[in-house]
Amino acid sequence: MKNGFTFFLGLFLALALAWAGIVLGSHAQLGHLAPYFDENEGKAFPERLPGIAARGQLVYQDLGCAACHTQQVRRPDFGSDKARGWGDRQSVARDYVSQPHVQLGESRIGPDLANFGARPLAVDADRLTQYLYDQHGGMPPYRFLFETRRITGERSAKALKVPAAAGMEVVATHRAQALVAYLQSLNNVYEYPEARPLEPVEAKKEGEAK
Amino acid sequence: MTTAPSAATPAEVTEIDASARCPLLLLLGSALAWLVLSGALALVNLVQLNSPSFLAECPVLSFGRTQALQETAFIYGWAANAGLAVALWILGRLGGAPLRSLNWVTAGTVFWNVAVVLGLVGIATGDAMAHTWLHLPRYVLPLLLVAYGTIAVSGVLAWTGRRNQMTFAAQWYAVAALFLFPWIFSAAQVMLVFTPERGVLQALVGGWFVQGAWTLWLAPLALTSAYYLVPKVSGRAIPSYNFAALSFWTLLVVGGWTGGRHFIGGPVPAWVASIAGVSCALLLFHYIVVGLNLRAAFSSGGSTVLKFVAFGLGAYVLGGLLDAVTAIRGVALVTQFTYFTAAQSQLALNGAYSMMIFGAIYFLVPRITGQAWASATLIRAHYLAAIIGTAGLVAALAVAGWIQGHDLNDPAVTFATIAAHTKTWLQVATAAQALLVLGNLLLFGQLLKSAVSSLLVPATATFRQPPTMEASVS
Repeated sequence: MKNGFTFFLGLFLALALAWAGIVLGSHAQLGHLAPYFDENEGKAFPERLPGIAARGQLVYQDLGCAACHTQQVRRPDFGSDKARGWGDRQSVARDYVSQPHVQLGESRIGPDLANFGARPLAVDADRLTQYLYDQHGGMPPYRFLFETRRITGERSAKALKVPAAAGMEVVATHRAQALVAYLQSLNNVYEYPEARPLEPVEAKKEGEAK
Repeated sequence: MTTAPSAATPAEVTEIDASARCPLLLLLGSALAWLVLSGALALVNLVQLNSPSFLAECPVLSFGRTQALQETAFIYGWAANAGLAVALWILGRLGGAPLRSLNWVTAGTVFWNVAVVLGLVGIATGDAMAHTWLHLPRYVLPLLLVAYGTIAVSGVLAWTGRRNQMTFAAQWYAVAALFLFPWIFSAAQVMLVFTPERGVLQALVGGWFVQGAWTLWLAPLALTSAYYLVPKVSGRAIPSYNFAALSFWTLLVVGGWTGGRHFIGGPVPAWVASIAGVSCALLLFHYIVVGLNLRAAFSSGGSTVLKFVAFGLGAYVLGGLLDAVTAIRGVALVTQFTYFTAAQSQLALNGAYSMMIFGAIYFLVPRITGQAWASATLIRAHYLAAIIGTAGLVAALAVAGWIQGHDLNDPAVTFATIAAHTKTWLQVATAAQALLVLGNLLLFGQLLKSAVSSLLVPATATFRQPPTMEASVS
């Protein structure tokens, strides 16, 4: 370590090697990944997030929802992800290519949300909005995403069914609406060629049948 | 050394120490203030795990934001400030000359802390990024980088202008940390924030950054402290020192590859996780050598400094072992996505990093202020709070994570049931965290007292040892 220049060069190479291996290596493998165009359906998957959902993803990010929820389904034989109804196939890299801010998450204090949009709770926007307002089990209520305002004219059709003072109503702010739209957009059901679960046992049976 | 670090004898207060007093006290003071704040936020976070509606009305402290705030305050507030102070001081001492460009250090520290404050305000008000260890909003990142450079330049000058050509392990680790962090930090900024990568590559860059920031920045800073203090305080040469260089390069070359263990079974190329598993196993060599080199810390002979370092070293080696074990697929199946991962990160940050740095703080502050610590009892109290708090926190989170992992793998167990099963352990973790905050508050108070009295009454003794002796003791 007497030679300062060699020492610094060594430090730099050590760093550059890991960076090149992990970052450039996976970039070489996945950097060109594009949405998959399905000729039968006449469109490409995954679809781009609609504008309001893309804004909702920013709300999801700034509230730190990823502190409790992952968005990655593991293989059916690795963990209980499929059995819990979080997705029929594992998530693949292509699922995320259209997302500006990928939210894989590292913690499952709450359920995985990769295919949340397909679940009964998410299908009805009003029900999901109400869900964010109330507390459910371990999930805190997000009341600051709602505003209580004076009813002018008729009561808003979108007002929540919650007790409010006379002449007042509770409605979702734009942020809550965007978050709901984002959560509803989470749906990776399209089966890409690389995403079909490998099930060797069934393949054998098919062969026998022939 | 007696039980508590005694007053530095006049001969020990050198020009090297006295000249760096103000900038180092500024770095350490702000570091400890951040540590206490981060601990308090972590406490809020743990309380929220048990009672989710706690402070839920307050958007600034929603669960996700509190977690991002406490993590950011810990890494960029406490770990960065304190680690820089320790590395600069040790590089100055081993370089055998007073630190240079100290005005830059002071200015850099002020700007760094202003940037961290702005960053936390940004996170609390909705500008957070969603990357682990990089929640800071984009507008403070360039400022942090520049401020870091102005602080670190003093350390690099102390290295290049050292009086001895011979160098020590403590210096390698310190220089590596000072030199490499700006590269890692700026690469992550560019690839995650300013021109973000597409799709899962974001997650891969994020994983590389977190691992790099730990293996190439924080771990070397902690080891700087340990490699300096253990031989210095115990008065014994480092055994098997020949292996230290090999162990150093193993950490640098292999360490950066281990981040992929968090992606086992994830939507990323499978080789990322496989290489990480192999690298974790290779890295065990580094942990074994560190343990062997510094084993004198475990027979501390009553020195508080070495007791802190010994706990930190134990946590460091155990953390390396746990990384290797949880990188095995069968184990990851249980521990992935659970509190067990949180336990591992607390073991590394509160256990290994903070403890080794505490040791250095207890050793260096009397030397730069020329005054003994105000109370040996308070030091012992801090030590007990720190070891019981850290051990309790890590053990409770690990048990909770193990239970959670098994429950998650059984599709019949609902999330409400998982919460009920882990509740007791999370309460233990909360209590342990409270103890940690109390202990750290004691150190913060002691440091403030030392700093204030030293600035009022300048140290009288300035007898200076020959530089060669300064360096050769290590």
